[in-house]
Amino acid sequence: MRVVLVDDHDLFRAGVRAGLDSSVEVVGEAGTVAEAVPLIKELDPDVVLLDVHLPDGGGQAVIMQVAPERPAVKFLALSVSDAAEDVIGVIRAGARGYVTKAISGEELSDAVRRTAEGDAVFSPRLAGFVLDAFRTGEPVADPELDQLTAREREVLQLIARGYRYKEIAARLHLSVRTVESHVSAVLRKLQLSSRHELTRWAAERRLI
Amino acid sequence: MSTIGPIRLPLALPRVTRDDDDRVVAGVCAGIARALDADVTFVRLTFSLLAFASGAGIVAYVGAWALLPAPGAPLPSRKRRILGALLLVWSAVLALRGLGVADSIVWPVACFAAGLMLLNGQTFGLDERRARLAAGTLILIGVVTFITGNTGGSASTLLAPGAVAIALLLILAPWAWRLAREREAERAARIRTEERADFAARVHDSVLQTLTLIQKDPGDARRLARRQERELRAWLYPDREPAGDATLAGAVDTAAAEIEELHGVRVEVVRTGDAPLDERTQALVLAGREAMVNAAKHSGVDEVAVFLDADGDRISLYVRDRGAGFNPGAVEHDRRGVAESIRGRMERVGGTARIVSAPGEGTEIELAVSGGRTLDGAREAEAPARPAPEQQA
Repeated sequence: MRVVLVDDHDLFRAGVRAGLDSSVEVVGEAGTVAEAVPLIKELDPDVVLLDVHLPDGGGQAVIMQVAPERPAVKFLALSVSDAAEDVIGVIRAGARGYVTKAISGEELSDAVRRTAEGDAVFSPRLAGFVLDAFRTGEPVADPELDQLTAREREVLQLIARGYRYKEIAARLHLSVRTVESHVSAVLRKLQLSSRHELTRWAAERRLI
Repeated sequence: MSTIGPIRLPLALPRVTRDDDDRVVAGVCAGIARALDADVTFVRLTFSLLAFASGAGIVAYVGAWALLPAPGAPLPSRKRRILGALLLVWSAVLALRGLGVADSIVWPVACFAAGLMLLNGQTFGLDERRARLAAGTLILIGVVTFITGNTGGSASTLLAPGAVAIALLLILAPWAWRLAREREAERAARIRTEERADFAARVHDSVLQTLTLIQKDPGDARRLARRQERELRAWLYPDREPAGDATLAGAVDTAAAEIEELHGVRVEVVRTGDAPLDERTQALVLAGREAMVNAAKHSGVDEVAVFLDADGDRISLYVRDRGAGFNPGAVEHDRRGVAESIRGRMERVGGTARIVSAPGEGTEIELAVSGGRTLDGAREAEAPARPAPEQQA
C-alpha cells in the first residue's frame, strides 16, 4: 500500500514511518497544505495519512483540493486534538476515519489497510463524538440520514468501549463484513446528515 | 482663513514642499496642490482671487514660500518659519477684513488661530511647555478680545457664550482624539502582553517543570508526561470539561486522572451524554474508580479504556483492559474481594455490575444505574438497544 504522510512535525512523521509495518510503504511526505496538494496529485497514493492541524489551512483544505481530481485517494485523519469540531470537520470534508496520535504502529498499519480497502476507521473517541452528535430523542428532518439505527448505535457503543471489529462481530453474532458495513453507513450519515450538532461543528471549522 | 484651517494645517503642512518642477513663481501653488491632491489651477485661482481682498493672496503666497521647504531640503530656519506663519496670519486678517468682517471679530480670530496652530504641533522650534504657554495666551487673548469687543451689541451677547464653547471644542477636540487613539493602542498592547504573560506562566509552571522533573528522574517520565498532557488538554480545549466535578462526566474524568496519577497507567475516557451527580451516579463513579484500580493493578497492561454512556434512561460505565484477565468464578481471594466491593456498591443503589473476563482475554466491567433524567432534561424514552447480558467463564 502506498501512503503519503502529511504532518507539520518532522519528528512525528519519523515516528509514524518507523512504526508502520512492511505492508505499508511511505512514498511521500509533506508538511503543509501547499506542499501536500501537488504531491498527492502527482503520486496518487492509496491512502493519505493527514494531520487535522496544518499551518496553512488544516487537513480539510487538503481533502477539498485533492478529492475532486483524485476521487480514489482515501484519507485517514490523525490528530492530537480532543475537539469534536476538528474531528467532525475533517470527516465531513471526506476523510474515511479518524485515529488519535497515541495509536500504536501496529494499529495504525491496520487502520491504513482498512482505509485502503474502503472501510471506515473509527477510534473509540470518534465513536463517542458520533453518539453525541446523533443523540436520541431529538427531532430530525430526515430520519434516513439524521438518525442511527439501533444496530448502528450498538456497534458504535462497542467501538467506544474499545472493542475491535472482530470482537464486535463475535459479540453481536454478525460477520466482520456486516460490522464494517454498519460503520460505513454511519460514516455516510456523518458526512451527509444535516443534524444540528454536525452542522454547528462544521460551521465552527468554516466548512459551510 | 476660516477657523477650520488651523486644525488641518498640522496634518497637511509637514508633507508640503514647494514644487520646483511645476513652478510659475516659487512652486508654492504646485506644492500645495500636490499635497492636497488638487488641481494646481484651482490653487492658483484661489491665491489670485485672494489677492483682490486687500492683497491677502500675495501676502499668503510670500508667507507660504517662507514656511515651506524646497523639495528634499531641510526645514527653513526658525526665524523664516515664524515670519512665514506671521505673514499667513496677516493674510488671513487681510482676507477677512477684505470680505467685510468687522475688526472686533477679525483680530480675536487671528489670535485664536495662531494659538491653535501652536497647540497642534507647529511649535516653530519652541519647546513644548513654552509653545503651550504661548498658545494658551494667544487663545485667551483671542477669546477675551472677542467677548469684550462684541458685548456692545445685542446679537453679540448671544454670540459670546457660543464662541467660548466653540473655542473650547476646537482646543480640546484634537487633544481628546489623540488621547483616545493612544489609549486604544495602549489597551491593545496591554491585552497582548497579558496573553503572552499568561501563556508564558502556564508553560513555565507546567511544561518546563515537567521537563525538569523528567531530566532528574527519567523513570517517572511516562507518568509525568501523561499528567502534563492532561493538564495542557484541559487548558487548550476547556469545552471538553462541561461542568467540572459537578456532573457525572466531570467526575469520571477526575477519577480517571487520579488513577493515571496513582498507578502510572493510561486511562482513555470516551463519553457520550452527561447526568447530574446524585447518590446513584456517585456510586457509579466510585465503583468505576475501583474497576480502574483493579485493571491498573492486575491486568499487567498499561492502558485502560473507559466509556461512559449517559445518553438514555440507563447510565452505563464500562471499564476495559486487554490484559491478563481472570476467571470470575474461581476462588481468588484478592480479585473476588474487589469484585464483590464493586458489585456491593452498585447493588446498594439499585444498579448492576457485570464482570466479563477470562484468563488471557482481558477484563471488562460494566456498571449501570437507571438514569432518571439526563442533563439535557426529559429524554427518558427510547432507550437504545444494548447487547444482551453475558457472563463468561
